[in-house]
Amino acid sequence: MKQEPQKVITKKGERFIIPIGPQHPALKEPGHFEFAVDGETVTDATVRLGYVHRGIEKGVESRNWVQNLYMLERICGICSHTHAMTYCLGVEKLAAVEVPERAQVIRLIMAELERIHSHMLWLGVAAHEAGFDTLFMYTWRDRETVMDLLELLSGNRVNYSANLLGGVKFDISPEQADKIRQGLAFLAERNTHYLDVVMNDMLLLGRIRGVGVMTREQAEKLGAIGPTARASGVARDVRLDAPYGAYRTFKPKLILETAGDLEARFIVRLREIADSCRLINEALDNLPSGDLTVRMPRRIKEGETISRVEAPRGEAFYFIKSNGSDIPERIKVRTPTICNMGSVLALAKGHQLADMPMILVGIDPCFSCNDRMITLRRSDGEAETWSWGQLREYGIKAYQR
Amino acid sequence: MELGPVARVWHQGVPEMNPIVALLIFPGGLFVLTLGLAYEWVDRKLLARAQNRVGPRWFQPLADVFKLLAKEEVIPNDVNPLLFVGLPIAALAGALTAALYVPIFGLAPAYSFEGDLIVTVYLLSLLTLCMGLAGANTLNRFALVGATRTLTQLFSYEAPFMLALLAPAFVAQTWQISAINSYASTHWLIVTQPIGFLVALIGLMGKLELPPFDAPEAETEIVAGAMTEYSGRGLALFRLGKGVEMVVGLTLVAAFYLGGIGGPLDFLLKTGALLIAIVIIQALMTRLRIEQTVGLWWRWGALLVLVQLLLYILWEVVTA
Amino acid sequence: MKLGAMINDIFESIFKHPVTEHYPFERKETPSQFRGQLQWNRENCTGCGLCAKDCPANAIEVIVLDRKAKQFVFHYNVDHCLFCAQCVHSCRQGCLSMQPQLWELAALSRDGYQLYYGNENDIQTYLASQTAAEPAATPRPAVQPVALD
Repeated sequence: MKQEPQKVITKKGERFIIPIGPQHPALKEPGHFEFAVDGETVTDATVRLGYVHRGIEKGVESRNWVQNLYMLERICGICSHTHAMTYCLGVEKLAAVEVPERAQVIRLIMAELERIHSHMLWLGVAAHEAGFDTLFMYTWRDRETVMDLLELLSGNRVNYSANLLGGVKFDISPEQADKIRQGLAFLAERNTHYLDVVMNDMLLLGRIRGVGVMTREQAEKLGAIGPTARASGVARDVRLDAPYGAYRTFKPKLILETAGDLEARFIVRLREIADSCRLINEALDNLPSGDLTVRMPRRIKEGETISRVEAPRGEAFYFIKSNGSDIPERIKVRTPTICNMGSVLALAKGHQLADMPMILVGIDPCFSCNDRMITLRRSDGEAETWSWGQLREYGIKAYQR
Repeated sequence: MELGPVARVWHQGVPEMNPIVALLIFPGGLFVLTLGLAYEWVDRKLLARAQNRVGPRWFQPLADVFKLLAKEEVIPNDVNPLLFVGLPIAALAGALTAALYVPIFGLAPAYSFEGDLIVTVYLLSLLTLCMGLAGANTLNRFALVGATRTLTQLFSYEAPFMLALLAPAFVAQTWQISAINSYASTHWLIVTQPIGFLVALIGLMGKLELPPFDAPEAETEIVAGAMTEYSGRGLALFRLGKGVEMVVGLTLVAAFYLGGIGGPLDFLLKTGALLIAIVIIQALMTRLRIEQTVGLWWRWGALLVLVQLLLYILWEVVTA
Repeated sequence: MKLGAMINDIFESIFKHPVTEHYPFERKETPSQFRGQLQWNRENCTGCGLCAKDCPANAIEVIVLDRKAKQFVFHYNVDHCLFCAQCVHSCRQGCLSMQPQLWELAALSRDGYQLYYGNENDIQTYLASQTAAEPAATPRPAVQPVALD
């Protein structure tokens, strides 16, 4: 099979494009980015998502309310508790059920432990993208502490399944609370050290200071959320703006940086780890007594609601609509990454190619969360049904082009 | 040929070797390859331990080479197949030839003449040049960017590294490696020329594309850089070449700055110490962007070595 | 500003054992909350089937042979199970529990993953009725290959 010799650049003025993804060592999740470069400078960036769309929103429409809890928990592997909690909050609001206080505080503790785990994971990934593998190895080593704590509490390291509709599954015993306090003390100490490394290591600072600066105006215009927005000085945190559950009593600190560069994002996330440690300790000291669950009806009253939770990456948003049966009519999920994705494309222009993975990781992207469906229309007019053979043929042709 | 006192004793104990054996088995050829793999293992293992990991077992580099040799070498479309196959061979040959001019394992170099220092330094650059060409030979985008970076980096560290190796030559009044070696065995040049030592050591890291100078093969940006299209034998040869280059480079720096290399024990201790230093620097550093690398070498490396050279010349003038 | 801010960590680690766990050789003890393989206790079961209804992975099937005589067969697909423990919390009689020690469940074939809990005779009756009722398994239609030119 002799092919025409392909050329990277065929005519003058054509752009040299560096593809990153869907399979690339920089991204362990499939997303496709195309960076047009002029030498080492990036002149344009585009993104294509949708490689891991799993049809969860459609899937929930054929499962009952309880089953959906686990379906939605699997939207994201890292913020699994957040998704389950957002869903539970929404459904409990629809059913007009008040969750016991103790359960609410346990949810908060899990959410904050998850935030610590997510931010430490991010720190390691960001260090790896910068080529600082030592920091990567150490942060992931220390992250094991919080993973073990999560396992100790819930019995699982990743999909904790801590929530039930109307409460939580497990209690926190005083011995467990002591273990959490010990683990958090260790983590807080290490966190101070990492903050020191990030703020003082000359070579790391050379890679992150002044790189990917997003001004406050830009952040507001691009609709950035979560730590990415807070690093640009946008005071936006659902835990404070619209407190839910136990956050009404236990207030987190709003951590703001104004620089808007990668360094600010490092600092915001590291300070949030410290604040989460404080919040968990406070919650453990003031754990209210009482039940863990209340009875939930199997059929949820007709109606619709929204619920919002501050995930480690920003605001997770659920729209839930019930038609009075034991199966939801529609659940719409908006995960934080999709809001921040625009900032990557806007910031990429003018930076070095070497900064691209850093800027991309700077928003802490989670691809399986944000994937959306793309509809392919067949050329013969028939709209949306494809046979396996047709899809296969289409795929082969697409790759031959 | 002048030998240092220790080297002289060592040489009396070693019988005359058949030149073919010396070239292919010991101390050249196979022995250098083995040494290269061993140093690669020490590098990887120590780096792993510095990062609190377990690290590879002792035969891992050898196993990697065997695995790569057994794999199919995929020659991509639209490359010059002759160059694609030939460049790794040229690269390894260059590194192995360079090994003949340096006191490997504390033995006298196999070949030695006035000016072999220059030849050695250029033979060492041959590997980098071959890698650059190999990257530019393919149409892979990552390989093209990697090749550009490899060659850019070559031009940035080459001059300071060369100057840092020439400084001992000036002091020893000769451009012959063995002569500098025997001069250095009585003078620890690291004391009188600390800047030159630092630049040489860090230049060697740039040459070997070790962190923080691994921008040409930064996996999070451009996958494997110039090596992206290489899979089987070619990759194995390039890796072997790197190992040999590491041994040769460490030998040169140790011989020039750490009081010469007088025997096998001397060789292992001094190059080992340098290797540990390299590992620690590797573990501590963040990858530099390519323009940061260039800036570092031209703004600091070259300038500092020149200042040191100037000071030496002034000293000579004043004392004369 | 300093060069090499992590130097202390590095020197500490060089003289310390790596943290890597030697998993197949040394096993860590699982916490008591750990969710391993499901266990069914037949004493209190009423055959309500709530566990099967709430199971997000459809891993549970409660077969009622005779409700009055409490003849139930509890069919558990280990390879479908998500280990979320919803069934444990759904069961009002407390018949279900997750065993924290049983977690190394990986195997090379799916054969051992069909578990039937219950009275030995009941299981036999149920399985016999299944094999009698089920026609010979029809092979799934193979995917039509598309010619590659």
